[in-house]
Amino acid sequence: MSAAPEAKARPPASFRVKVWVALMLTIALVTAAAVVFAQSRLAQAGEEELQREFAVQLSALHERQAIRQTALVERCRALVRRPRIVAALEDNALDLLYPSAKDELRDIVESEFNVTMGTDAYALRAQFYRFLNRQGGVIVPAPEQSGGALLAKEERQLAVAAAPTRQQWGFIERRAADGRVTLTELILMPILASETAQPIAALVLGFETVGLGESHPQNGSRLGILGEAGLFLPGLADAERAMLTTALRQRVTAGQQADARFALELSGARHEVFCKLLNPDSLYPPAYEVFLYPLAAMQHRQEQVRWQIIGAGLMLFLIGLAAAHFLSGKLSAPVEQLVVASAQDRANRARAEAALESTSAELARAARFSADASHQLKTPVAVLRAGLEEMLARENATEEVRIELASLIHQTYRLSSVIDDLLLLSRMDAGRLELMKEPVDLSELLALALDDLQAHPATELLDVQTDYPAELWIAGDRHYTGLILQNLLENARKYNCRGGRIQLRVQRQAEVVLLMVGNTGKTISPEGQEHIFERFHRGVVGENIPGYGLGLNLARELTRLHGGELRLVRSAEGWTEFEAQFLAFDMAANHARTHG
Amino acid sequence: MKSILQHTWIRWFVVLGGGAMGWPVALLGAVIAGQVALPPAGKVTVINRRYEVVSRGGVVALNPPLAVVYLEGEFDPPKLPAVAQMTQKGLTFSPTLLPVQVGTRVEFPNLDETYHNIFSYSPPKRFDLGRYRPDERPIPSQQFDVPGLVTLRCDIHEHMRALILVLATPHFVVTDGEGRYRLTGLPPGRYMLKAWLSSTEVREQLVDVTADTELQVNFP
Repeated sequence: MSAAPEAKARPPASFRVKVWVALMLTIALVTAAAVVFAQSRLAQAGEEELQREFAVQLSALHERQAIRQTALVERCRALVRRPRIVAALEDNALDLLYPSAKDELRDIVESEFNVTMGTDAYALRAQFYRFLNRQGGVIVPAPEQSGGALLAKEERQLAVAAAPTRQQWGFIERRAADGRVTLTELILMPILASETAQPIAALVLGFETVGLGESHPQNGSRLGILGEAGLFLPGLADAERAMLTTALRQRVTAGQQADARFALELSGARHEVFCKLLNPDSLYPPAYEVFLYPLAAMQHRQEQVRWQIIGAGLMLFLIGLAAAHFLSGKLSAPVEQLVVASAQDRANRARAEAALESTSAELARAARFSADASHQLKTPVAVLRAGLEEMLARENATEEVRIELASLIHQTYRLSSVIDDLLLLSRMDAGRLELMKEPVDLSELLALALDDLQAHPATELLDVQTDYPAELWIAGDRHYTGLILQNLLENARKYNCRGGRIQLRVQRQAEVVLLMVGNTGKTISPEGQEHIFERFHRGVVGENIPGYGLGLNLARELTRLHGGELRLVRSAEGWTEFEAQFLAFDMAANHARTHG
Repeated sequence: MKSILQHTWIRWFVVLGGGAMGWPVALLGAVIAGQVALPPAGKVTVINRRYEVVSRGGVVALNPPLAVVYLEGEFDPPKLPAVAQMTQKGLTFSPTLLPVQVGTRVEFPNLDETYHNIFSYSPPKRFDLGRYRPDERPIPSQQFDVPGLVTLRCDIHEHMRALILVLATPHFVVTDGEGRYRLTGLPPGRYMLKAWLSSTEVREQLVDVTADTELQVNFP
């Protein structure tokens, strides 16, 4: 009874705490993994986005450049095929070259022909033009001839080694009168003999570059050109320009690669720089397109998303905290019930075990007592009987004394028999009775028991009817089987009525042998029938009948020890019948087995 | 006779008519015939094998090649201004190579359904006829007074080109495709016989022309 409150007092909450901690650890791990994963994904996505945006803007830029270049090339190609220009060059009429060109190039020099794409305007209007002769030298226009103003130094920059067969691109820096430096894009268009496609001269046109250095409205990217003279990227501080130029030159000269891409720290802000050779295989000095892409905005955006992810992770963690609390309560409730129940079970079991132990001890004590008592009793009884028999043997005793002594001796026999029964029972209770199982002829034992019964003086008035085969083998202990038979027949005699009847039948049914013992006499009440096999029980009928209520109990215990059963078949209308069941022993089969 | 025969059409009349009537060759004066070894023809781009003016490395010639054989010497200018024609038909000049004597007026009738604009930047004769239609009258023309090679172009059709070889002699002939030529009605005397092949290649041989004889002069 003390175990149950103890179990309740022991904190089953520890399980709840363990579950909670396990859940929290799991949630924390999952959240952390999710946050780390999201961060890495974010970094990856940021890189991809950067690449994409970069690629999109670059490709858009290059597309515009390609369109512009295509337009320029087409226009220039048409110009250099003009018959008057070709005629002036082929027919030794160089004096007519620039006048003719003025006419033919009027469109490209004077008109406002610009291509507008998005926010960028690309000039298709030439600032100047010059012809180169077959050797690549500049055909200088006469002072009165037009062709666009160029300084002599700038004019020299237009010359190439020899008139090429395909168009060339280049860049020169020009300083305007107001000191403003501009970058001029050059396109050199060969003038080919129409039949032989051999270059006979070339036309160089200069176009102002527009949009360089201007910051992109969305991402602040800027475009510049790295040429022989340096980096042309207006709007960049001198220190930054120098730094960028150095970085570009290193990459450009080291790798001689057409494309270069790298990150650079400019005024404390990270920039992605893309560099591409604009005029591969050109006769003019190489010029590189420089695309400056500030990463600050993207980094800021990424930082924002990172904090959002961390916030989401914290939220997730808090929700997990609540969920873990709820779940641990839910999960541990049945376990806690189980703990309480099992504590009660343990207490109950402990109680039952204690009770069983005490019962067993009591039983052992009782068995030992009855064994001890039997032993201690047998000797005095034997001494007593011997004394009485000696007194009876004396000559001087009167007849009255003799009768009294004989009666006393008889009582000692009864006492011995009771003691024997008690001893036997106590041995059985203690589990110490060992049966010597062997084939026993039940018919023979019956005959012996009947002989004993006939010897009793009271039996003479009874009608004993028997029905059993001459030989019937059972498996059992000869001594104790005889005791069973003796007890049953004694019982039938004792509880019979005067001039009554005893019926004895034996029959074999399959593997068992049934012995039916019936007798006339007063019937046992239904209440009595329930207790008839209990120890020291004596029915109301037996009040004036000698006995101690041990016989039937002993017979039944012994029958059961033999693997059989003893039961009351009926007790009604002056007829009481018991049935004892023994295990049959197949003598013939056993004989065949042992000898066959 | 000699002066009459200087007129191209009269000369053709005499040659064709006289030949038909069995006139003796002597009537046509001295004759020089022969063959000019023409350079191999370049790749012909047009299907109908028209002659075209080719400018290669500053050298203007015809493809397939043709030569003009002429007698160089002191000759009087024509009494009447000679007239020659160079037509524009099918977006080409015809003939592609036209030798004329100094002082000849060349007419440029437009036989196409479109405008043409013939001009020349060549030093012997610079002119620009401007755009004109087929029904332009009088037929636009130019007089060529300076010997030399004149390249004609059309400002509208950049592929159209032709050559006019202005010569200070009435005695000239364009060879056939194999380079064969025949110069007739030549006055006796000692001359330089020249074969023009391109703007930079003129072969020459000294010939003694005697009356009513036929000389065989080849230009290897």
